Amino acid sequence: MIKWLRSESFTAWAFMTPGLLLLAVFVFWPIIYSIPLALTDYSVISDTHYVGLANFEAAFKDRNFLISVWNSLVYVLIVPFLQIFSILMAVLVNSRIPAIKIFRTTYYIPVVTSMVAVALIWSWLLGNNSVVNYLLIKVGIISREIHWLSDSNLALYVLMFITMWKGLGYYMMLYLAGLQNIPQDLYEAARVDGASRWRLIVHITLPLLRPYILFCTLISLMAAIRVFDEVYVLTKGGPGTATLTSSLYIFQKGMEQFNFGYASALGLIVGAVIGVLSIIVFRFNRKGGVNPY
Amino acid sequence: MTLQNDQKLHSPLPKNKNSRITRSLGRMVRMMVIYVLLVLLALFLMGPFLWLLSVSLMPGRNIFSSPPAIFPTFIDFDNYVQVWQFMNFPKYILNTVIITVLGVVLNVILASLTGYPLAVFHFKGKNLVFTLLIATMIIPSYTAFIVHYLTIQGLHLGNTYLGVVLPGAVSVFNIFLMRQTFIHIPTDVRDSGKMDGASEFRIWWQLVLPLVKPALAVISLLEAMSFWNSFLWPIVILNDTELYPLAAALTYLNGQFAYNFGWIAAGTMISVLPIIILFLFTQRYYMEGLAGAVKG
Repeated sequence: MIKWLRSESFTAWAFMTPGLLLLAVFVFWPIIYSIPLALTDYSVISDTHYVGLANFEAAFKDRNFLISVWNSLVYVLIVPFLQIFSILMAVLVNSRIPAIKIFRTTYYIPVVTSMVAVALIWSWLLGNNSVVNYLLIKVGIISREIHWLSDSNLALYVLMFITMWKGLGYYMMLYLAGLQNIPQDLYEAARVDGASRWRLIVHITLPLLRPYILFCTLISLMAAIRVFDEVYVLTKGGPGTATLTSSLYIFQKGMEQFNFGYASALGLIVGAVIGVLSIIVFRFNRKGGVNPY
Repeated sequence: MTLQNDQKLHSPLPKNKNSRITRSLGRMVRMMVIYVLLVLLALFLMGPFLWLLSVSLMPGRNIFSSPPAIFPTFIDFDNYVQVWQFMNFPKYILNTVIITVLGVVLNVILASLTGYPLAVFHFKGKNLVFTLLIATMIIPSYTAFIVHYLTIQGLHLGNTYLGVVLPGAVSVFNIFLMRQTFIHIPTDVRDSGKMDGASEFRIWWQLVLPLVKPALAVISLLEAMSFWNSFLWPIVILNDTELYPLAAALTYLNGQFAYNFGWIAAGTMISVLPIIILFLFTQRYYMEGLAGAVKG
């Protein structure tokens, strides 16, 4: 016993115990516990009963839930735009010209700002009698005011735009790291062989950037399905259910109506959707695969 | 003869000079295009903040003018003074600082404690721990916040800062980042500490940690930003609006005083400035760390 107390094994576990304990409580336990929870009608108001798969049955008949999952899937459409624009931005700020670092820093400021502040700023910029409408009318792009956030055909796309606006700089930095990791002599060698600029991009830049594209696509995909703050601050899911995303709906069921059992079931369903989407992304990028750690 | 010679000598030069001029002209045009694009992009990404700053400096009647005012007719700080007095900002800033410091300190200590043995020790169960950590990255825990809420209530930490911070106090990402850093520490460091009879804890604290300051700084910055901006979880856990951090207080202010636009603009500026300033002063480490975390 005393020997064990002096062993490396004991010291290792002693070091790790606080961290692993917290991980167990706040990472493993939620994953495990949400399964039995989803099989009950657990809520704060009444007694808890085992209800089997009733929550799941109800979920597939719950029109608002299905709409919210659909909206979340539509939200995923921002992912390709985020990747394309961020790569273009990264190429642009990869130029070796004076003051480039100032621009890099500038583009990153929306990323470090809180989503609440960002959402508030855009809500004022896009409101009625607001700056964006005024400028667009003045330039002649639109003829009368657009109700950006209260038009049910438009609101979801406006939210997607705001999410993208805030995220551009983040993915740009990751792609910039990827670009700077590409050895310059590869380009030189290809140029000596007379390769055009376009061929350099297609045959050197994109293939070597591929692991980064996979990594960024996966994290932006998960972020797009998880999106909450901007929806909560700007539209609360409205008008009607136009911007009701799955995370907002689960939040409403769980934290506003305290319907924990049902919310857990919804969470498991959405978690499964995320899992399937991730597998599809991996399939598309079979060769890729960056180890982020 | 001399003339001919001279001509022979100089004849290629004008041609060469011309091409050099066209080339440098081409480079200049390309630079100009790049700068125009860079400035347009900067306006797109910074414009809304500059406009917010401009609105926050407008005197009241300027704000609701039609057409909307973009630049103030004259600058005054009344909005800042009034919202500062009305909202008790020092308290909200203090709340945010407490939450951020608590979150950063816990993350730094727990990540470096947990990552250290995984990098340098040999022990039974190392692979098991590793597998479990990786598993958490693959399985999406979408319902986490419901169970977190129940856990925090169960621990009687509702309405406390510890309840706000604990679910985010340790992250697998940070543990991996620290492990990756500890692996590169020479084994001599630990051996020399052992030779002098220091305990493992002392070796970690006094010999190893000072060597990994850059990694600790990166974790601190990443976590400082995420805790400073946290909003949803604090409003779930804190019943008392007096305890709210800035981002949460901001939505509260927006709900109460939607008509007093200048105030909200000033309040928003006050809430975003500290984190932007922190970022500007530390952006070199931050961006290197972010890139390094992905490269691995």
